[in-house]
Amino acid sequence: MNTLSTSDQIDAAISVVRVSKYFGGENGIKALDEASTVIKDQEFVALIGPSGCGKSTLLRIIGGLMSYEGGEVSVLGQDVVEPIDDVGIVFQTANLLPWRTVEKNLCLGEEVRGHSLKALSDRISKMVKLLGLDAFGRHYPHELSGGMRQRVAIGQALIRNPRVMLMDEPFGALDALTRDHLNLELLNIWEAQRKTVLLVTHSIVEAIFLADRVLVMSERPGRIVEDVKIDLPRPRDARSTRELPQFNEYLLHLNHLLGVF
Amino acid sequence: MSSRYRVGWHLLQAPLFFLLLGAIWEFSVHALDIRSYLLPPPSAVFQALWQSRALLWTEGLVTLEEVLWGFAWAVLVGIAISGLIYSAPIARRTIYPLVIALQGIPKVALAPLIIVWAGYGLLSKVIMVFLFALFPIVISTLGGLNSTPDHLTEHFRALRASPWFTFRHLRLPVALPYFLDGCKVALPLAVIGAVVGEFVGSSKGLGNLILFATSAGKTDLTFATLIAVTAISLILFSLIEVLERLVWWRSK
Repeated sequence: MNTLSTSDQIDAAISVVRVSKYFGGENGIKALDEASTVIKDQEFVALIGPSGCGKSTLLRIIGGLMSYEGGEVSVLGQDVVEPIDDVGIVFQTANLLPWRTVEKNLCLGEEVRGHSLKALSDRISKMVKLLGLDAFGRHYPHELSGGMRQRVAIGQALIRNPRVMLMDEPFGALDALTRDHLNLELLNIWEAQRKTVLLVTHSIVEAIFLADRVLVMSERPGRIVEDVKIDLPRPRDARSTRELPQFNEYLLHLNHLLGVF
Repeated sequence: MSSRYRVGWHLLQAPLFFLLLGAIWEFSVHALDIRSYLLPPPSAVFQALWQSRALLWTEGLVTLEEVLWGFAWAVLVGIAISGLIYSAPIARRTIYPLVIALQGIPKVALAPLIIVWAGYGLLSKVIMVFLFALFPIVISTLGGLNSTPDHLTEHFRALRASPWFTFRHLRLPVALPYFLDGCKVALPLAVIGAVVGEFVGSSKGLGNLILFATSAGKTDLTFATLIAVTAISLILFSLIEVLERLVWWRSK
């Protein structure tokens, strides 16, 4: 699967070719071992693997937040050496500023781009509605629940309308119920405004439910060992999609690949 | 007991405790027949406070002016120095050790020299206040600038924020509560600096008044002056605490 045709790479929103990463120099810990993959425009791809396998490292490299040794990474046709403007990144901890209200946290990324708060007020109120946080626009992060905070963090990335979204276990710290809710919301948003999404997760169910493709990483040093296409019809919804027989087949298959049983 | 009464009782505890200490003091002085030039009873101290209120006010204003000027300079220079040490590695290797070394010098011992250099007037006291207040402000501001959480720095990098934007919207708000903590430590020291300066060479101010009152055997006035010094310290301190409400996010 490491043989990538040239035409694949031209269509690619994200292309990772034989990327390696060492922590602490070439003699240090090898985190990634010639990992390769191609993600097409508007594709929703989930990345799963055992903990410590380098999933987050790969996401940070694609996001331009981390250097790498050997190989090539390009996003939207640009070589990645630093974060790219058209890429939004959502982290596991909602990186909200405690001194800013929900509204002002939402527009932080647009402020960086030089837009004034006034010019953004329309888009902010739309985003607050989309996130179901109508009543909380003027509230501060410490007044919100964990799930609401994570919604704001996702909204902060969405409001910039990026073509590529990189999400690093965005729901990892949430309880199962909140997680299911946010999965659905993310799915709805993605159906409405298609973007290329790379989602790192440790939940196999979440990966199958959301993604077009699930990439499976090996134990450290991480490389992408399986590429499972998820052929479930869209639009998907919480009940009927999970009741499909194929859903369980994917679940069994991926559990097996990850060595759960 | 309802919570309102309990709050009221909590607020009363400190005044009642001080009143009790005062009563013990007053009683002991009378019961043990201590000479009032050795230890005046609180009643005499408050009498002196009232009788000399005009004097205490004018001398207090002198000391207050010294404290405010010296403290303002300490804040300005302190912010500049910590900003420099934070942003320029060469400053970290040169100015930072210098600041630490200067802090090691007993500033009380410097006072006579500073009077020789800067004279008997306002300037020498301002320098003393400045020296006493500078160090805590530098150390705490520097600590604040270094306290930006890594995950937020990474987040700002992901948003492609410029160094100035990151400073203005991330590092500065994070550092502010630390800076104000430094000011709270520095302020009582600043008042001590002014009084020490006045002890060593001055014809004005509360420190000078303490020297005069003590040598004249007016111990009640000495105590009254001490109360005035403490009052300046407390009032300025509570002003900083009011400012601190503007950085309420520190514990969130």
